[in-house]
Amino acid sequence: MGEQTLHALEAVTETISAGEHVSIIGPSGSGKSTLLNIIGCLDKPTRGQYFFGERAVEGLDPDELAQLRLNEIGFIFQSFHLVPRLDAIANIELPMTLAGIARAERRDRAREVLESIGLGNWAGHRPAELSGGQKQRVAIARAISMQPRLMLADEPTGNLDTQSGVQILGLLEELNQKAITLVVVTHDPEVARRGDRILEMRDGEIVRRLSATEISAANPIFDRGYSGARS
Amino acid sequence: MRAEDTFRFAITALLQQPRRAGLSLLGVVIGVVAVILLTALGEGARRYVAEQFLTLGTDVIVVIPGKTETIGMMPGFTGTPNDLTLDDAEALLRRIPEALRIAPISMGNETVSYQNKSRQVVVLGTTPEFFELRGIPIARGTGLPEGDIDRGANVTVLGMETARELFAEQNPVGKSVRIGEWRIRVIGVNGPRGTHLGQNLDEVSIVPVATGMRMFNRTSLFRIMIQLRPHSDIDEVKRKIEAVILDRHHEVDVTCMTPDSVVDSLSAILGTLTLVLVGIATISLGVAGIGIMNVMLVAVSERRAEIGLLKAIGATHRQVLLIFLMESLVISTAGALVGLGVGYATIHLVTWMYPAMPVVAPLWAVISVLGLSVCAGVFFGVLPARRAMRLDPIVALASKG
Repeated sequence: MGEQTLHALEAVTETISAGEHVSIIGPSGSGKSTLLNIIGCLDKPTRGQYFFGERAVEGLDPDELAQLRLNEIGFIFQSFHLVPRLDAIANIELPMTLAGIARAERRDRAREVLESIGLGNWAGHRPAELSGGQKQRVAIARAISMQPRLMLADEPTGNLDTQSGVQILGLLEELNQKAITLVVVTHDPEVARRGDRILEMRDGEIVRRLSATEISAANPIFDRGYSGARS
Repeated sequence: MRAEDTFRFAITALLQQPRRAGLSLLGVVIGVVAVILLTALGEGARRYVAEQFLTLGTDVIVVIPGKTETIGMMPGFTGTPNDLTLDDAEALLRRIPEALRIAPISMGNETVSYQNKSRQVVVLGTTPEFFELRGIPIARGTGLPEGDIDRGANVTVLGMETARELFAEQNPVGKSVRIGEWRIRVIGVNGPRGTHLGQNLDEVSIVPVATGMRMFNRTSLFRIMIQLRPHSDIDEVKRKIEAVILDRHHEVDVTCMTPDSVVDSLSAILGTLTLVLVGIATISLGVAGIGIMNVMLVAVSERRAEIGLLKAIGATHRQVLLIFLMESLVISTAGALVGLGVGYATIHLVTWMYPAMPVVAPLWAVISVLGLSVCAGVFFGVLPARRAMRLDPIVALASKG
């Protein structure tokens, strides 16, 4: 019995430019989450290279990676990942707390961000008291509190009803227009369609690349859909 | 991350599971209280003994009939010594130039009565020197008469408490009381002196030593107290006393006790005892530490999603480690402080109930128990905190929470 090494990704070569809105779509197990983790500097490829801006990520130690995530990257998750015991504003402050920003300053900044996403009156509420859409908005507020260059969203609307989902996507696109690079992983063709580009993945490879113009034309992949699959 | 933010973060985490945090804190409290109380009692006993003996004065030698080879063993239980007589006392006074005062003492229990009132008291037979030696004031009348110590007059000086019980507000001086079968005239009353070496000198009846020996039909003195002139060499005097006794008894069948030697040997014993108690109490701190570790391990596994999130949004290994170490540190430090409070409150209570017993937690014990519990918090917190630190953020994020 030999050991078999499974590669979640194979021969992926891709460049995402600053300010782009890229969707990654594919069935579960296709490697889209692994790709997102590598883009987010949570994971390093066992082979190959990833450059974040000018920096080769493989040469960075764990602390430098943490620093990079803290300052340059915002994460949004399907299950929000708010700290349940902290109220909305304290959750938003969390990255600034890690960065060592003084309490008064981060409170001001967090309040500003909270206002900008329309949850000004919810600062003192804990996640359990918020609706799914509100939770995701708090999560977005947390992700942008350090003014990152890159925003990564893993199934951001997966746990939301359609209306909240549309609002969240609207919010993300607004951020994208303010020059934040946006990468959204989804299995929902409707969500994917909103990107400038779509990368379709299967078995660890990018099998199709569609540009905005190609998306707007009716395309067979969306008829198949992935709505039954979960990443 | 600022220290105060780490601290605040730890507090919110602990408050989320107040019962769990409280119980692990209680373990520390019990450990700390145990250390503080046990050392306080040990130290209190040591001080009590030392105080009692040192108020005798460091210039006093007590000669006790009977020989002991072992320090710490009370003499009198080994062999049958020759009597220690009044002649021995007089010989000691005569032949030892360093002896300033000598007070031979006989002792017994007897009923003292006046009219229809009576009570059991300790009857001390001694000489006028005893009053000076033990610092007993005379409140009324006179002390014991000077003169030939072999001739015991039938007179007594009553302790103030004894006098008050028998005579109430009357002046006892000049009245006659009955001590056992003897009719004794009261010539004086002690001023207050209080309990000393386990004997309440306010509740005695003091008679001339010869009277005491006759009264109890004794041939041997209970002991002889010798006060030395200033700047005498105590060891030298001890040797001289033994030489005198050897000369008279043909063997050294007495024991010379000095307050210093008694205090030293008792202190050594009580000191060892205290250390043993501290050892036992420290074990309970160790158990408390394991309790903290357990609680923190549970917390780490319950908060995997939170740890994953912290790492994803940019917490370094060190920050995650410190966040969890801070929690165990807060538990142990809070436990130590609460324990300190409870310990001191209990000490106050004991002091209030038994004022004679000096119960004092020694500073070294307080400082070391605080240090020890803080160290226990860190020591037992390291394993859970390292586990949190090493969690793979991708795996941790996938957990429910």
